[in-house]
Amino acid sequence: MDELGQAQQSLARTLGRARAGEDRELSQRVRENGEALAQMLAGLLKMTRVHAADNRAFDAPVAECARALAALVDLVGVVHLAAVDAQAFVNEMRLRAEGRPGIHDLGAELRKHNVGGLLFHGPLAPGQVRALVAAFAQPAAEPAPRTALRERLQAEGLAAVELQGIHRFRTSENPETGQVDAAGALERAGAQAAAAAAALASGRAFNPLPLRRTVAMLLEAGPHSPGLWDTWLTGPARGSHAVTVALHALLLGQAAGLPSAVQQDLGVAALVHDAGYASLGGGAELAGPDGLARHPGEGARVLLRQRGFSDSKLRRLRGVLEHHRGQSEPRGPPSALGAILRIAEDYATFERVHGQRVSRADVLGAMARAAGTHYHPALVQLAVNALGAFPPGTLLELADGRRARSAAPVRSRETFATPLARLCDAATGLPDGGPLDLAAGPAVRRALPG
Amino acid sequence: MPTPTAQQPSPVGPATGSPAAQAAAAAVQALARAARSFVLYDAGNEVIRQLLDTWRVKSRAALDAHGELPLDVRPFEIVLRGERVYEDQDREKSMAFKLFRDGVRRLTLQPEAGWEELLELLRIVALRYTVVRQQEEDAVTLLRAARLRGVKLVAVEGLAPDEERPEPEPPGEREQAGAQAPEGWDTPLPRLPAPSPLAWRPVAPEALEAIRAEESGAGAARGALALARELLVEAVRGQWPRPYAELVQFFAELRDAFLADGQLAELRQLVEIIGQAGLAEVRDHLLSGLGDARTLDLVLDGLPADAAELPADLMALAPLLGLGAAVDRLAAETGEARRALLLRLVLARLPREADAVLKRLPGLEPGLTRALAQGLVARAPERALEVARLLLQQRDTALRAEGLEALALAPGEVPVAPVAALLQDPAEAIRLKAAEVLGRRGDETAVQALTAALEGAERSPREVEALGQALAEVAPIPASRLFAAWLHPRGRFLVGLTAQQKRLQWAAVAGLAAVPGAEAERQLQALAAEATDELRRHCLAAMARRRKGPGRG
Repeated sequence: MDELGQAQQSLARTLGRARAGEDRELSQRVRENGEALAQMLAGLLKMTRVHAADNRAFDAPVAECARALAALVDLVGVVHLAAVDAQAFVNEMRLRAEGRPGIHDLGAELRKHNVGGLLFHGPLAPGQVRALVAAFAQPAAEPAPRTALRERLQAEGLAAVELQGIHRFRTSENPETGQVDAAGALERAGAQAAAAAAALASGRAFNPLPLRRTVAMLLEAGPHSPGLWDTWLTGPARGSHAVTVALHALLLGQAAGLPSAVQQDLGVAALVHDAGYASLGGGAELAGPDGLARHPGEGARVLLRQRGFSDSKLRRLRGVLEHHRGQSEPRGPPSALGAILRIAEDYATFERVHGQRVSRADVLGAMARAAGTHYHPALVQLAVNALGAFPPGTLLELADGRRARSAAPVRSRETFATPLARLCDAATGLPDGGPLDLAAGPAVRRALPG
Repeated sequence: MPTPTAQQPSPVGPATGSPAAQAAAAAVQALARAARSFVLYDAGNEVIRQLLDTWRVKSRAALDAHGELPLDVRPFEIVLRGERVYEDQDREKSMAFKLFRDGVRRLTLQPEAGWEELLELLRIVALRYTVVRQQEEDAVTLLRAARLRGVKLVAVEGLAPDEERPEPEPPGEREQAGAQAPEGWDTPLPRLPAPSPLAWRPVAPEALEAIRAEESGAGAARGALALARELLVEAVRGQWPRPYAELVQFFAELRDAFLADGQLAELRQLVEIIGQAGLAEVRDHLLSGLGDARTLDLVLDGLPADAAELPADLMALAPLLGLGAAVDRLAAETGEARRALLLRLVLARLPREADAVLKRLPGLEPGLTRALAQGLVARAPERALEVARLLLQQRDTALRAEGLEALALAPGEVPVAPVAALLQDPAEAIRLKAAEVLGRRGDETAVQALTAALEGAERSPREVEALGQALAEVAPIPASRLFAAWLHPRGRFLVGLTAQQKRLQWAAVAGLAAVPGAEAERQLQALAAEATDELRRHCLAAMARRRKGPGRG
């Protein structure tokens, strides 16, 4: 087969896999139902000027609106209805407005409440469609109409409807630099992980794209980059378990030489690995063995709501499902992503639970000795090699009596025990000084808990 | 075959401008056309090949002649050093818009970009055009993951707020009650040994290679199957809400992925995994949700045309072969062997999917309907009544007869009235069968219809015999009284017996063959002694049948 034939074959395979779960008529059906949804919704919003929302005149369009939405949810999962200028889109597909004046008007109806689009995370019963329309029919509540509308929807139990603001496409960044704002991405990751867990807990489908974009930026900066770890050490991201696990997992994934796409999947899985806890209700009864046993499966269950097949989804599901699985369990070892998450997860949890009594170096040392039983032997050694004798965050007593915190992973084999660090306040242990390259001294006297 | 340009309006690029801009325009437009062509054509289509070749040639030419090509991406256009090289104002079709919306602001093609990398760029753009459920990736994440050395990317977050009255997202909105992990989550921790000193040690390359291999090729398929197995276990263990809608959807997606790759062996394993699910209800629900025409076509395409059996190693796939699709193919198939194979596949789904087969029966050609009806009655006898009702409504005589046969075999009570009505059917075969069924499965309520049939229009001796016999079988005592009257009719002077009297007499003789007791025998003997020719022979035959014992004919 020649070069072009091979290219065709490879493209066919890629697109075939990407389309798995779709059918040839899918886009047409999405468009038709999207048009019905937009047309009916716009019509209903207009009708509220003439009729009260409980008027029987609403029955037929409400039913059609609910039907079209249910069909769309069945087809694509999360339905994104957006209005831009005089055009409307459903999941990025332009809706034909010819002969459907309502679609033209949808944007104006939404903008009254400072709303640019609606995300439907599930179908709505006709009564809920009526409640949505009634909420939009209320006068815009200044000064924050979208916020007020959101509160109204929440009060009506319409958790499946998410309001979006009015957006434009960003053009202001300077394309000459191409710099990646990794620190910003790290800060964003914590909020996104929390938002994803909340969305999953409220019955919504998982939308991995924002998380993936953030992870892609972290990878672009490099999971070993001192700047990234310094941001983690000194900023609020360190308080986020999901971000901490993700950062350590990405470091390990890169050390293992996983392909870039798989590293992205690993990062996304790390950010949602504990989503099952939130979905189970997060009650106190889940602290301990019961929650430990149930949350991986529950996490996988809620992630399954995402429609469409991809290798990424498979990896993510395995990672989440197996992130507490030991290496020598009778049901078999975890996947590569599961094994990496297991190490990152336990490391972060040991530090959280026992960090005041045991140093990070000792946590890692104990985990290294459990290689082959709890942890993948090669991966746990990679973790040691990447995190070093004094893993990032370790409180250090220096030979000159000062205290510092290790602030970055291993730069080279030679600097395994002499990391970059930040001087700390002796009393609080919080970083308050400038960076210090311990390869240039002073020597580390010992690692401390805390 | 239409040319690509005939079906795809060209995006606008410069007809004039610097040579670099013209070359870049040719390349960028070739990229856009090739990427969008996957919406219109199968990847194997000759048109795609031509468009791929154009992209290869034009991009190579531009890079070789003009070196680095920094392409600034704007909402609806792409610009090379200030010169527009692409423009398309259609948000849905514009490559510029798709890239811009995802946050791509500049793509710089480097002279050293090889065909592999240029093809990868095309793959990414094509994905953005063709896949409807775009929630996993966008152009930026795909380009970053691809790490193309010959294609430099500058990207931003695609969207920014554009509100006259900015409204910050309320901090508490996302942090809903119950959306947090409980205190003490992820515990208890495993008991670990005392720590060892940390030391850098090399990790064997083969160990790392094994980890990476998990995520590619056969490793990925194995992983997918392992996940399917685990999810099933977890669904049962974790008491997921029935009927496992998410799981059914996931398995369907997995099936489609295996189909897209032609991975029948993996598909077979998936079926086996589901087949091993502990609860039959779960198993059946999952399997019935996976039936699909594409699986059937893939399996059939891999078999010789004269194969009349599904090879043993593919038998596991039978539940996935889409019953509806199998019936469709069966209806259209002319080859005898393939027809037999398809029929076996359909029958193998019985009795589990009897409803679906029943639904299809009315629209099929008589031969196929008959074969499926027989299969239904044999494998799902409890549905025989429904089969019969359906068949009895058909115009084809053979089918109606088949319906009556089904009725005869149906368990439970048989509805007499519709069968009795068939005693007046225009086709004698149906009337005969109806009489037979009434005899076997009817009751006294059929007496009037049977009598009316005998007293009505002219019927063949065979049918008259069947009616008489049926009468004796459904109600022996009333029938005996009728037969006694019919055996010795009074003929009119010089005219003799009417046709109706002869018919009733003939029926009575046939009926007495089935009436128990010595009196019936005596009546037959008496009539035989005084009768001549045909009637005498008819009596003797009836007596012979009595001696042979119960049974028709």
